[in-house]
Amino acid sequence: MDVLCKILSIPATLLAKVPGIGPIVKVCCTSVGQKILMALTGLSLCGFLVAHLAGNLNLFAGEEAFNGYAEKLHSLGPLLAMAETGLFGMFVLHIGLAVSTTAMSRRARTNQYEEKNSKQQGFILPNGGASNLMLVTGLIIFAYLVLHIIDMKLNLRGFESGDNKFQLVRNVLRNPMNGVFYVVAILALGVHLTHGVTSACQTLGISHPRWNKLIRILGVLFAWKIAIGFISLVVWAYATI
Amino acid sequence: MVRVASETLNSRVPEGPVDEVWDKHRFNMKLVNPANKRKFTVIVVGTGLAGGAAAASLAELGYNVKSFCFQDSPRRAHSIAAQGGINAAKNYPNDGDSIWRLFYDTVKGGDYRAREANVYRLAQVSNNIIDQCVSQGVPFAREYGGTLANRSFGGAQVSRTFYCRGQTGQQLLLGAYQALMRQVHIGKVELFARREMLELIVVDGVARGIIVRNLTTGELETHTADAVVLCTGGYGNVYYLSTNAKGCNVTAAWRCHKRGAYFANPCYTQIHPTCIPVSGDYQSKLTLMSESLRNDGRVWVPKDPEDKRNPAEIPNEDRDYYLERRYPAFGNLVPRDVASRASKERCDAGYGVGETQLAVYLDFRDAIQRDGEDAIRKKYGNLFHMYEKITAENPYQVPMKIYPAVHYTMGGLWVDYHLMSNLPGLFVLGEANFSDHGANRLGASALMQGLSDGYFVIPYTIGDHLAKAVLPKIPADHPACVEALESAQSRIDQLLAVKGTRTVDSFHRALGQIMWDHCGMARNKAGLELAISQIRELRDQFWKDVRVLGSGESLNQSLEKAGRVADFLEFGELMCIDALNREESCGGHFREEHQTEEGEAKRNDEEFSYVAAWEFHDVGDEPTLHKEPLSFPNVPPTTRSYK
Amino acid sequence: MSSESLNLTLRIWRQDGPNAKGGFRDYKLNGVSTHMSFLEMLDVLNEQLIEAGEESVAFDHDCREGICGACSLMIDGKAHGPDQATTTCQLHMRRFHDGDTITIEPWRASAFPVLRDLVVDRSAFDRIIQAGGYVSVNTGNAPDGNAIPVPGTVQETAMDAAACIGCGACVAACKNASAMLFVSAKVSQLAVLPQGKAERGERVLSMVAQMDEEGFGHCTNTSECEAACPAEISVDNIARLNREYVRASLVSGK
Repeated sequence: MDVLCKILSIPATLLAKVPGIGPIVKVCCTSVGQKILMALTGLSLCGFLVAHLAGNLNLFAGEEAFNGYAEKLHSLGPLLAMAETGLFGMFVLHIGLAVSTTAMSRRARTNQYEEKNSKQQGFILPNGGASNLMLVTGLIIFAYLVLHIIDMKLNLRGFESGDNKFQLVRNVLRNPMNGVFYVVAILALGVHLTHGVTSACQTLGISHPRWNKLIRILGVLFAWKIAIGFISLVVWAYATI
Repeated sequence: MVRVASETLNSRVPEGPVDEVWDKHRFNMKLVNPANKRKFTVIVVGTGLAGGAAAASLAELGYNVKSFCFQDSPRRAHSIAAQGGINAAKNYPNDGDSIWRLFYDTVKGGDYRAREANVYRLAQVSNNIIDQCVSQGVPFAREYGGTLANRSFGGAQVSRTFYCRGQTGQQLLLGAYQALMRQVHIGKVELFARREMLELIVVDGVARGIIVRNLTTGELETHTADAVVLCTGGYGNVYYLSTNAKGCNVTAAWRCHKRGAYFANPCYTQIHPTCIPVSGDYQSKLTLMSESLRNDGRVWVPKDPEDKRNPAEIPNEDRDYYLERRYPAFGNLVPRDVASRASKERCDAGYGVGETQLAVYLDFRDAIQRDGEDAIRKKYGNLFHMYEKITAENPYQVPMKIYPAVHYTMGGLWVDYHLMSNLPGLFVLGEANFSDHGANRLGASALMQGLSDGYFVIPYTIGDHLAKAVLPKIPADHPACVEALESAQSRIDQLLAVKGTRTVDSFHRALGQIMWDHCGMARNKAGLELAISQIRELRDQFWKDVRVLGSGESLNQSLEKAGRVADFLEFGELMCIDALNREESCGGHFREEHQTEEGEAKRNDEEFSYVAAWEFHDVGDEPTLHKEPLSFPNVPPTTRSYK
Repeated sequence: MSSESLNLTLRIWRQDGPNAKGGFRDYKLNGVSTHMSFLEMLDVLNEQLIEAGEESVAFDHDCREGICGACSLMIDGKAHGPDQATTTCQLHMRRFHDGDTITIEPWRASAFPVLRDLVVDRSAFDRIIQAGGYVSVNTGNAPDGNAIPVPGTVQETAMDAAACIGCGACVAACKNASAMLFVSAKVSQLAVLPQGKAERGERVLSMVAQMDEEGFGHCTNTSECEAACPAEISVDNIARLNREYVRASLVSGK
């Protein structure tokens, strides 16, 4: 992991030497800076999720509506390409930072405790809850993302579509292996966001004793709204046979 | 009979009206040229309020400072545990306070055994301390409008105590610690944590360095300098059980004493009235409950010693509020020495409560009824919480049980007006010196003294010494350094070589018991003489039978303790000698032979209005008494009365 | 309250020195009074060990009233033991049961190397404070204490943060061995007070840089530090540090 980390840090080291942006890169490279970037990219990706889900909910409106939406999206041409590049950048940064900060934490404690228990009161999932599952859920989401692009974007596995996105989506989801994996991955996303959204707020300093509870509730609600939204699409694929 | 030196000690207090001497003296003292300050190195031992403040302030002036502490970080010095507050004559509440009144109260509170000029200076700079601490970011309690809040404390008739909840010492210490850390960052202070001072290096009669043991590696290190500033706190742990931290010790001061520095008034110990009582023989320390609790709590015992009812069920008419009964004017707010003796008197008479019968009640029932539980929680929440954690009793419902415990030591190394000991170049600050509190310290004055000495006195007086003294460079292989190093090493070797059967703690407990029984809240001739012979015997046994395992070349906590206890075993004897010599009762020193018919302390100004400073000759050998006569032209001595 | 007595098995980490290999050793300790504090229980163990000719267990402690921050210990996997808002020295044996096996370990973090047995080196905290955890005001420079009013609520916020005792439990309890709670407490205290405002930007940047330099982990907002903190320092301070950091990154001097 440390080697991976060193490779990942090369662009940052180079960028830090560029006049003008150097100082900014430097403040972004500390533990706090990295977390802030992670929060920013995470929240941006949440924005993408909202847009993506909103678009995909067109599936419920029928074949015509969905294909219309897809066509409109693709007609954006270079704009879409730019957006996709941006999105790709966000993902890469988010994942890169995850690797880097995790490595930092590993180094911070090389000798483990014989016994370690939580002192938090109230209901905590085993092992500290969602916050301890960020890496696992992140990896699942990453795997899902790869598959998702292979199937939905590139259709490399050759699902029958008749050049019709609506059909493609339905056929991909109707593959039982895909269906199960999609649901698992989206549940992982829900867990990831359960901690991710509130944590990002905290990292960005969005916190006040008066609002913290509300932020936490809204964060969890958001996470599971998104998750339920996506799962509903899988359910839809089977329900509309 | 005690050997008495023929010449009296010169306190170097300048002539003139007490309220002008410090200002004039600051002008008369020699200054060190700003460019020359960087040529001087100063050693500061201890990082509490006095040491932290001194090290930071001297470094700010440009001196090179080496700062030492035995703890793992300077922030852990025991000043951190002070709860109540710090006095200053700001008179913000407009209730009649003034520098003169703080001066007067402190001299009177000290039972006329302090040096007037020092106390006046203390009162004078008290205001600067508050300003300094506020600027450092010390979060003193504030009124809603943003001005500093004050409370009345420890029997003062005015509200002059500044506080940070129940953690004033912590916040003031962190302020000094941060100032010190800033200087470490700048490079003006070199920090040596986990180092214990074991010897003073004296060259041609001038203090020029110290030998310390690196507590992590066991290595002995020689550090030389142009002056040594000792800020090593008090010796309350000679009693084993006290409110002091476990590490507090007399070693640094005692080793200086053995090198020629006089030890003044060692018998003056303060027994604090409001501590959590002892509960078992495994007990390792006593916990203080802040004196501020007496502002709202009422102290009582049942009128009938056989009354074993639950305290809440005992009606008022069956309660003896003995402080209010004996001292109607001050009631529960009488000074510490008076309150402590009154509890002891009740318990000795069989009225004590609790399993051991060595406790009295401190009851908040009436205050809770009057102000509501919330108001009480706001004032004392953390103290109540602490009490409940230790005793598993809820003081909102059940009265606290308290008993006096050793808390502070007014005695210490003798210093003159410059805070320099009789050994030139050795300065002593804070609780480690004897100077400002006389025979009894008032509440919220210890923090004031530590910071006053460190921030506002030593920066001036050390310059006078450095500017005047001839200070040739001392290499680490100078014969005096080598001799000191060997002396420290041989003591460690001796401790390890005994290989006896008894643990260090068992000796410390035994010493503590002797001291508490015979040199505690009440003392008498026979008891003190007995104590001296018992201490000598215990000391012999210690050197024959102590078991210190492990080596000197690693972190060895048993060895650290053994060294400290060995010094306490020598020091305890001096305390008893001093107590025996002082044929009067004053402040924290109560001789049963000298009391009024009502059991109040009886001072003897004719014969004992002096500071007793002792010169060391040899272990077990009678020390020589040097007297510094005290005079009180500004606060004429009266019998302290709180009735 | 009457006292009961417990028979315990203690699993204690023993390590001869910084570079020695450590391991657990089991000790039986009988007749422990429930009134004892945890450290008094260890005192009793040490007395017995010395009598039996074994070197005592080294552990840091000093004030024994919960304020100096010297005591540490991971007790059954919990920093300062099972109680909330409690240091090890304030923990009492009435929290344990007859027959219990208690596992006692030192704080574990790369930035807190073990010196011996249960003693660790926490000087990293001092170096973080050296980097900027102060107000740069020389002795004698201060204006009157009331010259700058500080609203009671601001002072309370500062005091809440200032209550940190620097024990390191936050680092010990954090799965990433992050020192964010400690650092943020000092950053917060001085950022909210008018006296500390002048240096707030430089302060947060240097303290964070030093924190990283010392090898602490990063914060994943699990709040485990808050639960372990004997001084009840809130993770709200971490959010404030983050805010200060963003602010300083955008507008600070250099």
